[in-house]
Amino acid sequence: MPAKELNKPCMECKDAEFELTVRKRQLCSFCFKRFVSHKVQSRLSVYRAFGLDGPKHQLLLPVSLGVSSSVLLHILNSDRQYRLGSGRPLGYDFKILVIEPSTIAATGVPFDQNYEALQKNFPMHTITRIPFHSIFDHVPEVEGILQEYAGSKFIDDSTRSNEERLAAFRASISTPTSRTDVDTVLLTRLIVEFAKKSGCESVMWGDSDSRLAAKALAGVAKGRGASLTWQVSDGMSPWGVRFEYPLRDLFKAELLQYESVCAELSDIVIPDQPPSENVLTKNLSIDELMLRYVQNQGAKYPGVMANVARTANKLNPSTSDGAPTCALCASLLGNVKGNSGVTVANQAEDNHSSQFCYGCMRSRPEELC
Amino acid sequence: MAPTACFNCKEARAVIIRPKNRHKLCRACFIKIFETEVHETIIGTNLFFPGERVAIGASGGKDSTVLAAVLKTLNERYNYGLDLCLLSIDEGIRGYRDDSLETVKRNAVQYDMPLDILGYSELYGWTMDQVVEQVGKKGNCTYCGALDRGAARLGIKHVVTGHNADDVAETVMMNLLRGDLPRLSRGTSIVTSSDASDIKRSKPLKYAYEKEIVLYAHHRQLDYFTTECIYSPEAFRGSARTLIKDLEKIRPSSILDIVKSGEDMAALVPVEVRGAGKSKQSGAEEESAGGCGSQNGRTSGGEMAAMEKQLAENDEAESLETEIKLPNGSRVKANRGPTGKAVKAQTIKHCERCNYISSQRICKACTLLDGLNRNRPKTAIEVGISMEDEEGSSTLMRQMERAQLSAT
Repeated sequence: MPAKELNKPCMECKDAEFELTVRKRQLCSFCFKRFVSHKVQSRLSVYRAFGLDGPKHQLLLPVSLGVSSSVLLHILNSDRQYRLGSGRPLGYDFKILVIEPSTIAATGVPFDQNYEALQKNFPMHTITRIPFHSIFDHVPEVEGILQEYAGSKFIDDSTRSNEERLAAFRASISTPTSRTDVDTVLLTRLIVEFAKKSGCESVMWGDSDSRLAAKALAGVAKGRGASLTWQVSDGMSPWGVRFEYPLRDLFKAELLQYESVCAELSDIVIPDQPPSENVLTKNLSIDELMLRYVQNQGAKYPGVMANVARTANKLNPSTSDGAPTCALCASLLGNVKGNSGVTVANQAEDNHSSQFCYGCMRSRPEELC
Repeated sequence: MAPTACFNCKEARAVIIRPKNRHKLCRACFIKIFETEVHETIIGTNLFFPGERVAIGASGGKDSTVLAAVLKTLNERYNYGLDLCLLSIDEGIRGYRDDSLETVKRNAVQYDMPLDILGYSELYGWTMDQVVEQVGKKGNCTYCGALDRGAARLGIKHVVTGHNADDVAETVMMNLLRGDLPRLSRGTSIVTSSDASDIKRSKPLKYAYEKEIVLYAHHRQLDYFTTECIYSPEAFRGSARTLIKDLEKIRPSSILDIVKSGEDMAALVPVEVRGAGKSKQSGAEEESAGGCGSQNGRTSGGEMAAMEKQLAENDEAESLETEIKLPNGSRVKANRGPTGKAVKAQTIKHCERCNYISSQRICKACTLLDGLNRNRPKTAIEVGISMEDEEGSSTLMRQMERAQLSAT
């Protein structure tokens, strides 16, 4: 075949057949990867040092072995290789943390092979693997907090294994919404604690734009609107570790496309469970409902959904310095400064100690809903 | 199954499962708790002052009827010392307002309150039906604006409306979906008034669930009118409403939780996008633009698609932009707010015509009126040329225009 006679050339380089359609443009896989990588790099430009001797920032990349975080890892790694090869300054380096998926989801998906593939493909990085229940070791104070939080529904027995203790705590929470909510809070704490211990100043979360939109909507629905400034926006978390969301300009569908043109990712990524069809709305968790909402609406109105995360990213971080924060999730107790609403006063019937924030109170085991 | 005792008094038989938290309550306790919560809202937010003249925006629907009943009860129970009256707007919607206005008239007798009914035709020179005939069912919500104008005529400075927690939660979700930060910063305030307007508008039922309002009306056997407005909801509000109904099934408290989130986020909206930054709770135009509650703000529903198109175009334009770098590696800061995030400012001004607050030079209502008056025949419509004929002929004209356009 003649070399340059292309049926449908890539709109960018015009030098290869197009493979993918991205945002109405037909690109070859090379140009597509460059496009995606550019979107990520522009988010991390603050960490780029201007000279070779600039300070090297240390970041933490939690990898769930799902599509998004694996793609993020691939992008960051490719960029690193390129910079090392061309003698450019790195600006930052990152460590990888894997929280064993089997200890998070009850489904118990085997992931050992995926983890091995991860180690094999990214040998230049420090990869650490810890189970979810190691939170009792990494964040020792969580023990008392969980006991206080769950009240009489959970009796902690420190003679049992960490795994059993965490399972007992999680079992005390009755609704899927509250369980997912508290799981997320605990996972975040574990990851933050690990970041601090390993000298990382920031955590890079692998949330796609679609995921951030769902997180923003779910956060609002769970009374956690005030925490969006670090749960959805790039910014300083209450623990003094910065949170970055470098995939915020990319849709989940685009990350799936990226995965499809990266052969080395196929062994690493644990595919998403397809959403089950026959679930009553009332049995879903709020996070799941919002993910579905963003998916459904996103098929028709991708821009509108993307705009949700962008809107949340424009909020100012709360300026209530020194104000008391939640013992569990570190969000602000009570109202944000300037909010004179009385929703909190209306909750007098909850009648619990006030060391937990509004959002965490809602997910408490003793709540009736 | 043995009857369950009331969660509150532990004595009487529970007949109600509270939608807010699923507590099982007896009739008397439910009514008491509902009223007490509204009282706490009023006290907690310093809503009224003794001797204040307050107009209750009454539509005859469940929300405003319950509001009138509760305010009357609380005014007497806790000696607020309020001078309450009912204010109704006759939009002139055939078959909708006529019956509901009858309800309001009965309410006035039942609650022993003075009632004023002001017609759209009196306030604007147009009835709602005429407006709809002219501009279609899009962007015609001026109800709350009309209330303000009506109150101003009566010399009353405080109008209370029946907006409930569901309405506020919807507004929060809608503004988040629309990416409308200025409205996100105002929509949850219990009082919406500003330096720009004399009229203070508030929603004492802001924390009350729609379902509990219905239950309250039912158990107190209030006389209200049940017909939904005939105009379809604005697309973003419609989507937010569906979402909230689903959320309520999953976690009943979520309506209140959204209100709480909305209040917190309002305080986090950067000052430069809030609109009139100097007044802490500006936004009396909130409900009139973009729709308000269960009855108003209804349109044909293409807003989401329109915004999608707009966003896609922005995106495309952005990808065509070329970054221009200055030589010598000098770095220029973009025009950004103090947070480093680019934001657009919205300023609140007075309408040049009617002095009502507006972010534009001429307010939405006056613009609408302008458009309407331009189409209105200079002479009165004679018998023989019915509205239908006129409508028909303009439709034909449009069709011909379209045919011409497609032919070229």
